[in-house]
Amino acid sequence: MSRSEGTVAQAFPSIDAPAVPVAASNALAFPRADAREAARLALLRDLHLAFRKRGQLVQPLAFFAMVTLLFPLAISPELARLRELAPGVLWVGALLGSLLALEFLFRDDAYDGTLEQYALSGQSLTALMFAKTLAHWLLTGLPLALMAPLVAISLGVATTAVPGILLSVAIGTVALSLIGSIGAALTLGIKRSGALLSLLTLPLSLPVLIFGARATQLAIHGASLVAPLELLAALAILGVTLAPLAAAAAVRISLE
Amino acid sequence: MRAFFDMGGYAAFVWPAYAVTLTVIVLNIVWARRSLARSRAEARRRLQTQGQRP
Amino acid sequence: MNWTWFHRLASPPYVYGLAARLTPWFAWPAALCIIAGLWGGLVLAPPDYQQGDGFRILYVHAPSAWMSLMVYMSMATAAAVGLIWRIKVAHAVAASCAPIGASFTFAALVTGALWGEPMWGTYWEWDPRLTSELVLLFLYLGYMGLRAGIEDTQRADRASAVLAIVGVVNVPIIHYSVTWWNSLHQAPSVMRLAKPAMPLAMLLPLLLMLLGFTLFFVALLLVRLRGEVLARERAASWIREVVSA
Repeated sequence: MSRSEGTVAQAFPSIDAPAVPVAASNALAFPRADAREAARLALLRDLHLAFRKRGQLVQPLAFFAMVTLLFPLAISPELARLRELAPGVLWVGALLGSLLALEFLFRDDAYDGTLEQYALSGQSLTALMFAKTLAHWLLTGLPLALMAPLVAISLGVATTAVPGILLSVAIGTVALSLIGSIGAALTLGIKRSGALLSLLTLPLSLPVLIFGARATQLAIHGASLVAPLELLAALAILGVTLAPLAAAAAVRISLE
Repeated sequence: MRAFFDMGGYAAFVWPAYAVTLTVIVLNIVWARRSLARSRAEARRRLQTQGQRP
Repeated sequence: MNWTWFHRLASPPYVYGLAARLTPWFAWPAALCIIAGLWGGLVLAPPDYQQGDGFRILYVHAPSAWMSLMVYMSMATAAAVGLIWRIKVAHAVAASCAPIGASFTFAALVTGALWGEPMWGTYWEWDPRLTSELVLLFLYLGYMGLRAGIEDTQRADRASAVLAIVGVVNVPIIHYSVTWWNSLHQAPSVMRLAKPAMPLAMLLPLLLMLLGFTLFFVALLLVRLRGEVLARERAASWIREVVSA
């Protein structure tokens, strides 16, 4: 009952209320926070929401473990052979796991109108997109990176390789999340967009896969992995500077 | 003439390569013309339905 | 500098008429160049000292590979122009490019594989050039898939334009990473196009083919462009004139 009254009151504002557009009155009521603050709030919101649905958080990890299990079964249980294949297995698993979670990056927010609010808020949509992508990385990329050493050890990799693997997967998934955010924003509003999202995202992810797998391979062989790690970091930095811009443009287009 | 078609023993590779490229060229011509024809038909149909409306 | 010619290029009826008038001026020279190039490449050019007559695949493979990249660059440029200045005609150009580019990327892959079998002993070698070409095909397919997935033409135009620009930033990175990856695993590729001294009788047909394919692309683009422009115009009076003819 009170709800309907509120709607009526909004529809017929009393005479003494100043006749200002809604956006402008909001701006008067809440002084515009800077982009960093807005991004921080968006990030916290996404993390809060994600922890309410813990089941979804585990899915990419379970998927990653499942993919890893397929290789010994399909190829051979010999650890010596699996060790050679480990970089490929790890990266294909991490790439697919990260891709799996991408579909949910913007979808719920697009359905309930949050994205539209973001776009109309007057805040930098680029900063908000960056916050959302960062949340996505914290919720999928980082857990995948933490799990990668376990997967590697199950494939016969020595524990000395653990720091290298952890670092390379952590940096690589930053780039993957950023590239994926563009694809996820572009496919907003397309029904059954899963296959299309992979088709858009995977070709762009190949450099990350190449450098990441090489870094992991070097780590497994106990060699210095500085060169591929630097290339991975370069990709991640390029992604940080350009991907949120492209994602914000794509979100605006999808809202038109 | 035989030597020309034999391509120094590479006939099995050279001619299919040329055939594929030629096919792509011809298909492109067909597709481009067909897409234009389709757009024209579509535009004509649109104009007619507009004309019928008062 | 007088910019009216440029502004007129953004006007659909003008572009439609111009495209119709210009098509034969590109189509016939393209046919001439390609026929002359075929004659030169298949008959006049001497066999290669290493690859014998097998190298003649070059005359269809190299132009197709050139098309695949050049069309992608044209598409991304047109998409960027359309996105920045909100020009419908530019989006129509980008939309026309994609199927042409994808088909020639396919041709480059098949001819590359057919060249690979006699030269490498295998149809498919994970050579950086072929691998990049394959990725390019996926980029085209993704672009076309996105376009097909969005029903509203204007939204499809703008979303796919973002994708094309992102792709163009990525193409050099992908090419570099694939080359780097390949150099780790095997010796440099056997198939090198840029030989230091290609005799004129071999080079000239290649140049003719490259020119012919490029002109052919423009002719195809002009035909497709008319269709795309028509599809983007609703209820404009000029359409009645052009379709009733």
